[in-house]
Amino acid sequence: MSLEMKTTELEGSQSPANGFSAEASQELVYNLVQQNQQDVSEVPTDVDHRNPVPAYSSDTFFTTLYNLFKNLASSGSQTKGEGEGSDAPGPISYYIYHSILVFLYLLMSVYRFYEYTYNRLKLRFLNLAYNPSRTPSLINSDVNKLPKIPYRLSAILNYKSEQEENGGVEGLCNDAAELTAWCLSSGIPNFSIYEYHGVLKTHVPELRRSIHRKLVAYFGTSNVPTYHIKIPHLNLSYAGSYDGEYGDGEDKPDIEISLLSVVDGRPTIVELTKVMSQLSKNHELSEKDINMKFIDQELQQLVGPEPDLIIMFQPYLNLQGYPPWHTRLSEMYWEPDNDEVSYAVFLRALQKYSTCKVNIGR
Amino acid sequence: MDWIASFPVTRHVLEYTKKQLCQVLRSGSVPQHVGFIMDGNRRYARMNKMETKEGHSAGFDTMARLLEVCYDCGVQAATVFAFSIENFSRSEYEIEWLMKLAKSKMKQVVENGELCHKYGVKIRILGNLKLLPADVRESLLEAQEMTKNNERAVLNICCPYTARDDITHSIKNIIARGYDPEDITQDLVSEHLYTGGVPKLQLLIRTSGVYRLSDFMLWETVDVDCDVEILSVLWPQFTPLLMLWILFKWGWNRTGRARRNKRLLENHGKDD
Repeated sequence: MSLEMKTTELEGSQSPANGFSAEASQELVYNLVQQNQQDVSEVPTDVDHRNPVPAYSSDTFFTTLYNLFKNLASSGSQTKGEGEGSDAPGPISYYIYHSILVFLYLLMSVYRFYEYTYNRLKLRFLNLAYNPSRTPSLINSDVNKLPKIPYRLSAILNYKSEQEENGGVEGLCNDAAELTAWCLSSGIPNFSIYEYHGVLKTHVPELRRSIHRKLVAYFGTSNVPTYHIKIPHLNLSYAGSYDGEYGDGEDKPDIEISLLSVVDGRPTIVELTKVMSQLSKNHELSEKDINMKFIDQELQQLVGPEPDLIIMFQPYLNLQGYPPWHTRLSEMYWEPDNDEVSYAVFLRALQKYSTCKVNIGR
Repeated sequence: MDWIASFPVTRHVLEYTKKQLCQVLRSGSVPQHVGFIMDGNRRYARMNKMETKEGHSAGFDTMARLLEVCYDCGVQAATVFAFSIENFSRSEYEIEWLMKLAKSKMKQVVENGELCHKYGVKIRILGNLKLLPADVRESLLEAQEMTKNNERAVLNICCPYTARDDITHSIKNIIARGYDPEDITQDLVSEHLYTGGVPKLQLLIRTSGVYRLSDFMLWETVDVDCDVEILSVLWPQFTPLLMLWILFKWGWNRTGRARRNKRLLENHGKDD
């Protein structure tokens, strides 16, 4: 249905050969990019086609140590060639320096072991202290103390392997559902979930079921909040409603969830460039129309607006290919050495956000 | 403790130790490209009851010291966020002072450019230069021209720069050059950014405890290979020793995280 609409719009905007307006070209570019993206990476819907996804999981301290040794052993030969120039150390002094470095790395490992233990204990304690116990009013009272909350929240989740606790697709859906419930309880109306491989995009039915179950557990069966799941990259949207059936999606949902993955990042910008270059070759888009505002509008349509807060449920700060255009002024939050989705991290992120002051340029 | 600092040999010993530590770090893995968001000059000035412009001067000195450490450790390229396009909304007096500072420091760098000669630093000015006053632009470009034959390290000065402007500029350039749409890839966009031709960004450092990228090198920073380090100190309080610690920590982390990041990227080809 939406495809038909799109093609008619497309023809409509193409027909005025030279006297095109800015809005018309805007629409045109958007439609073309959407189409290209759908052609390029159609997501397989049947179960057999789902590829196993390599897990982005936490290594234990000992595997890290093992890697350390392995890397140190191999790095000797690699880095030796790099020290060019007049004051570069000779081979003998290089080995002396390198053995000092190895020694320091060992000390660092010991230090990190204590730091890791400390951080984990702190998180354990925080998780005990802040427990939502599936009660929206508790979350609400926690959040109500804050002077401001984000309007758009984004979370970076990681797929964990099936063997791990709370791993696999089910674990991911569970985390996403839990976050949705927390967002709803704290009154955040826009929520986007970024997962590098886009596992959630291919498992929407599971996600909907899981969200529904979670919302029932939080809000009770009588007033389950409505939600909308959007996949901007495929231009799909699913209305979530009572008993997980497809509603008609007429009225505004309580929360909008959009699913992002690495394709929404740099590849979308590349795709946009391709389309614009094609259009400018065909003289359908003049060069002076291409400016920051134009690209911003296109990317807002293709990916969504910029989030106010990005919470990363990972042990260290790394954006993992998150849409670059959309990280401009977003506050980022993560807890060192944390690798699970927990309410304490969520709340602390909101607390941190409420204290930050954005002053563009000033 | 004061008598130690004032003891004649102390400075030399410290200097020597620093150099040796740099050599030690150099023997391991070091980020090829480091980005700096120099935040907190004004707050530093306010805290120390200085004028804003003195804070900026202190910030410049810090930058010179840190860059020395970086190049000693074998960092190939450093990019500093000197002035954002958004900064034009600051008070006129401050902008004027910043421009004057940039001009005078560039002159200094060019005339008795210790940093440039010793490390063979090539200075590149990145950003939308059209927005700068003509005299400042000229002196910046002069510095770029004079150091263009240096090969060993690169210093990118972003002035006036925003990442969105950078991406837009890259896209416009690609379209203007009329590439075949099939040939447009992520690498092509990366090459046409202001930072094109410089090694990939592997570490971004932001000071003064702000957890935001503030429109600096967004395209480069979202890469899986790039780590972001956020420090709670203000920029002028950023000591070379802290820089050494960060580089050391980066090297240590790299050994553990390399495999993890590789695993994350394994599926990359399929997703594109």
